[in-house]
Amino acid sequence: MRQHISFNLNGRPVSMDVGAHEDAVDVLRRRNLFGARESCGQGLCGCCTIKVDGVPVSGCLTLGLKLDGAEVETVEGLEREGVLDIVQQAFIDAGAFQCGFCTPGFVMMASDLLARVEAPTDEQIKDHLAGNLCRCAAYPEIIAAVRAAAEKRSAHAQV
Amino acid sequence: MLDFELRRPTSLEDALAMLDTDDPSVRPWSGGTALMLMMKSGVFEPSVLVDLTGVEEEHASIRRLEDGGTSIGALATLASLQFDPHLASEAPVLGQALPRLANVRVRNVARVGGCLAHGDPHMDLPPILACLRGLVVARKADGERRIAVEQLFAGYYETVLDPGEIITAVELPTQTGWDSVYRKTTVRTHHDWPTVGVAISLRREAGLIVESRVIVSAATEKLTRLEAVENLLAGQPSNAALFTRAGRTAAELVETIDDAQGSASYKRVLVGVEVRRALSQILEEGSGS
Amino acid sequence: MSVETMNRNEGKNQPEVGRDVPRLESRRKVTGRADYVHNLSVPGMLHAKVFRSTVPHGRILSIDTSEALDAPGVHYVLTGEDIRAMFPHPYYGPAFHDQPVLALDKVRYVGEPVAVVLAEDPFAAADAVQMIVADYEELEPVYDEVEAVTSPVVVHDVLKPAGTFPDLKHLHGKRDTNVALDYQLRRGDCDAAFSAAAHVFEHEFRSQPVMHVPLEPMVSLAVPDHDRLTIHTASQSPSFVRMEIARLLGWPENRVRVMVPHLGGGFGAKLYIKLEALVACAALIARAPVKLSLTMEEQFYTITKHASTFRIKTGVDADGRITARRCEVYWNGGAYADIGPRVTQKSGFTAPGPYDIENVSIDSYALYTNRPPAGALRGFGIPQLVWAYESQADIIARELGQDPVEFRRRNLLRNGRPQATGTIMESAAIHEVLETVVERLEWAKPFDRGSGPVRRGRAIAIGFKASIAPTTSVAIVTVAADGSASLSISTVDMGQGSDTAMAQIVAETLGIPTEEVTVVHPDTDTTPYDMATLGSRSTFHTGNAVKRAAEDARERLARLAEEAGMPAQDSYAPAEVFRKRYGMQAGTVTGTGSYIPEYRSPDEDGQSPKVTPYWMIGATGVELEVDTETGHVHVTRMVNAVDCGTPLNPKIVEAQISGAAIMQFGFTMSEEMHFDAGQVTNASFADYKIPGIHDIPPLMDEYIVDAVQSGGPFGAKGVGESATFGVSPSIAGAIEDAVGVRLTELPLTPEKVLRAIRAAAGDPLED
Repeated sequence: MRQHISFNLNGRPVSMDVGAHEDAVDVLRRRNLFGARESCGQGLCGCCTIKVDGVPVSGCLTLGLKLDGAEVETVEGLEREGVLDIVQQAFIDAGAFQCGFCTPGFVMMASDLLARVEAPTDEQIKDHLAGNLCRCAAYPEIIAAVRAAAEKRSAHAQV
Repeated sequence: MLDFELRRPTSLEDALAMLDTDDPSVRPWSGGTALMLMMKSGVFEPSVLVDLTGVEEEHASIRRLEDGGTSIGALATLASLQFDPHLASEAPVLGQALPRLANVRVRNVARVGGCLAHGDPHMDLPPILACLRGLVVARKADGERRIAVEQLFAGYYETVLDPGEIITAVELPTQTGWDSVYRKTTVRTHHDWPTVGVAISLRREAGLIVESRVIVSAATEKLTRLEAVENLLAGQPSNAALFTRAGRTAAELVETIDDAQGSASYKRVLVGVEVRRALSQILEEGSGS
Repeated sequence: MSVETMNRNEGKNQPEVGRDVPRLESRRKVTGRADYVHNLSVPGMLHAKVFRSTVPHGRILSIDTSEALDAPGVHYVLTGEDIRAMFPHPYYGPAFHDQPVLALDKVRYVGEPVAVVLAEDPFAAADAVQMIVADYEELEPVYDEVEAVTSPVVVHDVLKPAGTFPDLKHLHGKRDTNVALDYQLRRGDCDAAFSAAAHVFEHEFRSQPVMHVPLEPMVSLAVPDHDRLTIHTASQSPSFVRMEIARLLGWPENRVRVMVPHLGGGFGAKLYIKLEALVACAALIARAPVKLSLTMEEQFYTITKHASTFRIKTGVDADGRITARRCEVYWNGGAYADIGPRVTQKSGFTAPGPYDIENVSIDSYALYTNRPPAGALRGFGIPQLVWAYESQADIIARELGQDPVEFRRRNLLRNGRPQATGTIMESAAIHEVLETVVERLEWAKPFDRGSGPVRRGRAIAIGFKASIAPTTSVAIVTVAADGSASLSISTVDMGQGSDTAMAQIVAETLGIPTEEVTVVHPDTDTTPYDMATLGSRSTFHTGNAVKRAAEDARERLARLAEEAGMPAQDSYAPAEVFRKRYGMQAGTVTGTGSYIPEYRSPDEDGQSPKVTPYWMIGATGVELEVDTETGHVHVTRMVNAVDCGTPLNPKIVEAQISGAAIMQFGFTMSEEMHFDAGQVTNASFADYKIPGIHDIPPLMDEYIVDAVQSGGPFGAKGVGESATFGVSPSIAGAIEDAVGVRLTELPLTPEKVLRAIRAAAGDPLED
């Protein structure tokens, strides 16, 4: 089955033919978006994290066909007019990555957490990021980055 | 190459009609996380997937029933279970367990019905729903029936559901007077599937245990209710000595299996320890009455 | 930012070196726009999928590819014979030319590539692979490294040394043995010393096979172009890939171009040849670009870390001084040698540990077995050795009734003393590293070991490593007319931060901000030779070459200034020099530098005045809790200290320390490849569990001791592996401290801990 599907991708409408065998990562690759990338292929590492209708999901476990009509956001959509998202900047400041392969997934999950919880505890940070793996093990820096992003955001909010 | 038709019915009736076939390559699809893995690895090659997520919204809702119980639509996501305000007071064990069940992305898409229908013993939700005395509402084209959660499972990845029969809801009776705990033990990493899952509910009156549910999963071929342990607890005052005996009995009776997470004999020990600790935890945390 | 002055005196303030410069590629990485080979596709590209052996050892009788060839979208199906028809000697390998591009005559492990499908899309290729049928005459396999020494089963009929490395030149072809290399060291008289010793201890320690699992699975793309071939590859060793592919094809090196963009983790998995030979041969046969992307599962069939057995015998005098040590180490190299012989030899140098021992005997064997090949993994054999000698150090101290720290203090090597190879220790802050951990762990204070079901324990361990020599690095620094600089090196930044550190060296030397230095991704058409990015060698080896190249550029700029008639001075603004010299913004200055450290091959007794340009040192201390009812171990605190000389970028170094320690923590606690009849049974993240964010010790501290590495660029040396050394033995030691049981086989799973506790209590668990 191939189907012509339409969806919003980082706020812009797109439409394309998608085969039943394609997952969301395959579909996004065809849009030249490589930030969501397949690694474990089992939804366990989080490298393929994207947001569908406002919630993060594993792109490798999402049927391409199911993107039809959806609001799809990828890491590439976080940067607004050349300005990094608060989480992206915090990851740079904290040195929260090494090879960078898992980083988009962590950034997406962290930004989702901060959208839900104003001042997450370390346990909440860990629970939210427990489904993302970093083989370089930048975990201490990642926790520090998320903490710093939350603090920075609440400081902004108070201004 | 993987090829199938994705059908998207807008009503449950239509979905049931589409699924009314003996063809095992026609399957319902909700969160799809487990089926997707089976499809990717070539274990399952569907001809038709019936996407249930477009049916009437009520099948994804969590409602308080008139008798004080709760109806959880089979299409409710695990995330909606985690954040539901009614369940937070009615069955706090769910809110406590869910943040460490699978991961955020899975919880966002996986549905209560799929989680049960998959028949995978290494899941955290089924034992919790079983200890909460949940009833599975199952429907097929020609009718509906109710099955106790602990009776749903026929074996390793097997359920008693008929072809074409799907889970539409889980009904929980009122939890007033009951205290519940779920203990998940992993042995490799924290984010691993449970090696042992122990879910226990107790109803106590005047310091005595009146009724209980003791459920073990993951270490066993299928989710298992340990009625002998429940009988041992019945009518007894809750104290450490009783819990030690309960743990020992659980370890003696449970039939554990060997797998990549450990030997059957090791898991037997874990079951004993975790049953005892779950009971102690209820004693420490539970509201009692 | 404007380009400032150059030629800053090194003795002065050094704001570029030693500064916590964020990684130069940071923005690309957090926006998802970093380029990995993964992202690449080119017109007309075919997708490859590998058909793999299902038997551990067998003769290939037939391979039927006809159905696959007829499948939709399939262009080619190639077997080993198809490769051999075009390339007469299709074997590769850094130590032995033993690995066929696709299996020839025999298969030697489950998962070995036997055929490859080239198709228009990856799904068609995957489908067609299912249609290939191979028939084998099964042969008896051998799996265990100790059995392989004497087993009648021979994995390779003839051993064919490659002769690549000067230090392995002595290897000769052999028949009818699984021993690829036997490394020997003899110092003093062990037998006599054991006879005279007050106490003699003998133990055996084993470590398990594990996999690097970089999150970017291995991927290569070969693009043929008339008489040239370009290979885009996720590789840690582009220079080696070019050389080896050129050799395989019988071409001059300049016709092979190897390009490496960002690497999504390496850890040793992406060294030497992995997929490159296959895509190169396939692309030349198909006359089309060929891309091969492995799945996570397939990585487990490609390269692993050596399982090992270490028999260690130690003699100690009445005062607790180690007088003799005999080491027998068996390395399970799997079916192809990869770099295993070098692991065997290089790690062999330090097998007796960082101790001052008069009488030493070392035998270290690289063995072929019918398992997936084993190669380098973060530590190059050292973590397996430290696991044994530091575990034994605790056992000895306990039996002698000595404090384990005291026992180590008494025996540790000091600078100026000869190590087992006879090389004199220098610039090695061994004592400082140990004392840092001791102090931070507050070792002198009383420690509460708990009561009830949860007991607490603590321990420390220290290890060291000889660096990889003799190896060469070359660097080119180009200064543009506006004074900005670019650095060309073939060192691969796989996440360790080498691009940033090297840019800091250039910036420091030229007196410009690091942010104005560009590092060119490895491209063998333009970036010069570098042996490989491995063994924590880049900071020292490449760093020295980079420093020389930058100094060369600085001197050329000074000459240009002189030609322009500028007055002699300490520092010039490069842009001004160009403008003065050429009358406008024009010109280029190129500086080159190369570096090869001094190295003397060991003699037949393993003795050499110089086996390494520097020593890497790392120690770990842990505090943990053991649940005596379930065997669960919870490491509550971990302290890591290293000697990395003077860090170029302290923040990146700290992340290397914690990252290395956490990786080794996974190898200690949970990671293990399981096999059933040679088949890996847990080749996925569902069942091969690497540490997640909840698993790391809640308290983790990293310390860099004050040190200066002589001969290192700005006093620096490598650090990528140092924090792996002490992790496994310190955890096992702390478990014994807590509950009195000693585990000798990794990983330290809860079940093993509980079984040991129950056995010690006389109430063993049934099997």
